[in-house]
Amino acid sequence: MGFLALSFLGAVLDKKQVGLVACSAVGLAFLVAFWALTDLMNLEPAERIGHVEVLYPWITSGKFHLDLSVLIDPLSVFMLMIITGVGFVIHVYSIGYMNDDPEYSRFMSYMNLFIFSMSVLVMAADFFFLIVGWALVGLASYLLIGFYSEKRSAVLAARKAFVMNVIGDVGMVVAAYVIFQNFGSLNYVDVFAKAPEMYLPNSDAILLITFLLLVGAFAKSAQIPLHTWLPDAMEGPTPVSALIHAATMVTAGVYLIARCSVLYELAPYTMYLIATVGGITAIFAATIGLVQNDIKRVIAYSTMSQLGYMFLAVGIGMFGLGMFHLMTHAFFKALLFLSAGSVIHGMSGEQDIRKMGGLMAIMPLTFISFLIGSLSLIGFPLTSGYFSKEAIIISAWHAPMGNIFFWGLAVVTAGLTGFYSFRIFFFAFMGKQKDPNAHPHESPVVMTLPLMILAFLSLIAGGLGHDVLEFLSPVFGGHVPPHHEDGLLEGITLTLGAVGVIAALGLYLTDEERVKFVKDMLLPVHEILYRKYYIDELYDFFLVQPTKAIGKFLEEKAERQGIDFVVDQVAEKVKETSEGLSQWQSGKVRVYALNMVGGAVMILMFLVFY
Amino acid sequence: MGTDFILFVSASVFCIGATGFMIRKNPLVMFMSVELMLNSVNLLLVGFSKELNSLDGQIFALLIMTVAAAEVVVGLAIILTIFRTRHDLDVDNINTLKG
Repeated sequence: MGFLALSFLGAVLDKKQVGLVACSAVGLAFLVAFWALTDLMNLEPAERIGHVEVLYPWITSGKFHLDLSVLIDPLSVFMLMIITGVGFVIHVYSIGYMNDDPEYSRFMSYMNLFIFSMSVLVMAADFFFLIVGWALVGLASYLLIGFYSEKRSAVLAARKAFVMNVIGDVGMVVAAYVIFQNFGSLNYVDVFAKAPEMYLPNSDAILLITFLLLVGAFAKSAQIPLHTWLPDAMEGPTPVSALIHAATMVTAGVYLIARCSVLYELAPYTMYLIATVGGITAIFAATIGLVQNDIKRVIAYSTMSQLGYMFLAVGIGMFGLGMFHLMTHAFFKALLFLSAGSVIHGMSGEQDIRKMGGLMAIMPLTFISFLIGSLSLIGFPLTSGYFSKEAIIISAWHAPMGNIFFWGLAVVTAGLTGFYSFRIFFFAFMGKQKDPNAHPHESPVVMTLPLMILAFLSLIAGGLGHDVLEFLSPVFGGHVPPHHEDGLLEGITLTLGAVGVIAALGLYLTDEERVKFVKDMLLPVHEILYRKYYIDELYDFFLVQPTKAIGKFLEEKAERQGIDFVVDQVAEKVKETSEGLSQWQSGKVRVYALNMVGGAVMILMFLVFY
Repeated sequence: MGTDFILFVSASVFCIGATGFMIRKNPLVMFMSVELMLNSVNLLLVGFSKELNSLDGQIFALLIMTVAAAEVVVGLAIILTIFRTRHDLDVDNINTLKG
């Protein structure tokens, strides 16, 4: 299985003009992942965990031992399948989307780099390589968000994403240090084996480790309060948004928690924190999503909201469910993003939903795939989102760690989801065309084909639910999460979702007067939501401005009058004292030669005569 | 030919070289003077090698010649570059490092 890693390495090196190479590299990786999957399926469930393939020992220093190795178990293979599978589809799509871009090959190589980093992240067999992958993914996302480097906002967004991610990285690195201090090893297998014996639940060390890891997970997965980078990251090209900010990278945090489920189960306090933050993020992002006008931003907030669901799921101990929702979300969110990209492509770069409209007749394929994506997102019965989301919402009530508060958050979010997703849907596809200058057109087949694949997956993936949970169960202590049946709760969720949709329908499909009326009525609320609860402004006020003030003070006082003064004085004195000596350095080679010969003669004479 | 004579020739050549290096302004000529000094030492080595009936000196002479050849390559390249940038080869004018 060693060549799993190599095939990814190869992917990075390809910089040929043809997207074919890039795509085939990822496609090959997918096949290898698939092969690993079938290998695992042939084993008994109990034997499926903990296959560590050591490529070679890398560092051995005292107690510290580090192998370059990959971990093959149901969880990592499951993640690999999603990453390479969805990644492959998105690569194909990018061929069409980025066709006109002069920097096409740079884009493709970044995309490959991203897939590679993500694979390192999920295949890592110890915390060290997890962090390596973690940081690489951050780098790749920085490069991809800032891809349109001539756009200032893109560069700023990239920087913001990077800074936020580094906050997470710091948490991870400190966590790794604490883990090594306590367990004497960074290896998953060692750590997870020792943890239950060494520590009682909620002991300080475990709480500290889980919390620090959580910082990393929150930053990567855009949970409150480290979420602000994700909506801004929509400055990148749309396939990037789909790849990074929907299907793969943002789910790394969920993966991390699932991977460390052993540790988290020992820390119920942290779990509670995860579930709370997840639930709050879900509803928080959904409310912001209600009023945004940029099609990609709305989907970005919806991503945050869905990530909130995943965190909620893992927070109440339903790791398998979290991963399952991760998978269905990867399908339908990538589908939504790519459809949105197709719309943007067709509208020649227009992202404002207020300027779209009536695209249903012009872009039928995009219309259908967007519809399927939205239905799946709101959990319409029998789509994939229905199975995963419904299960999470019901578990939020019924699971041992669930309570009515979590359930309330989840279920209200479901209603809001219905509203905002159909708001953009109606804006973009229904009604009549609002901008007379636009000439929308359907996208080429290289773009619509991936849409159809993803749409298909979004529809059927829900049926795999039980298999997925069973497949992953060895990693999570060997038990399949119980399936909760509760017709009433399900009914409430569905009704709320439907209410959301109907509200959107009633508001946006009729006349604009009513929209204006409602908007005016709720103006203060609208303003707060539109400005995203002023979180960016808060950060600016509490962090950026004080830092700037300190910097200014230091520059004026400490730098100019302190350090500079001393340094200048030292230089001055040295110069004064050395003035006499510097006469000797005349710059004339011949004088130097004369001095040298003279000196040699003098030494000789001394040796000869004394 | 006695060893005394060889020593005498070697010393004279060395002095010519040293003087030439000190009084000439053209780096090329100075360079040749350096070669003279090097070769006077070679002469000395070979002379003593004959006197002492040992091959060590000759081997050393060969080594010095090799080093000298390498040094010529670098030196000429430097001189050439100086000339290209300054269009002037008077060493007295090359005094950027004057203190």
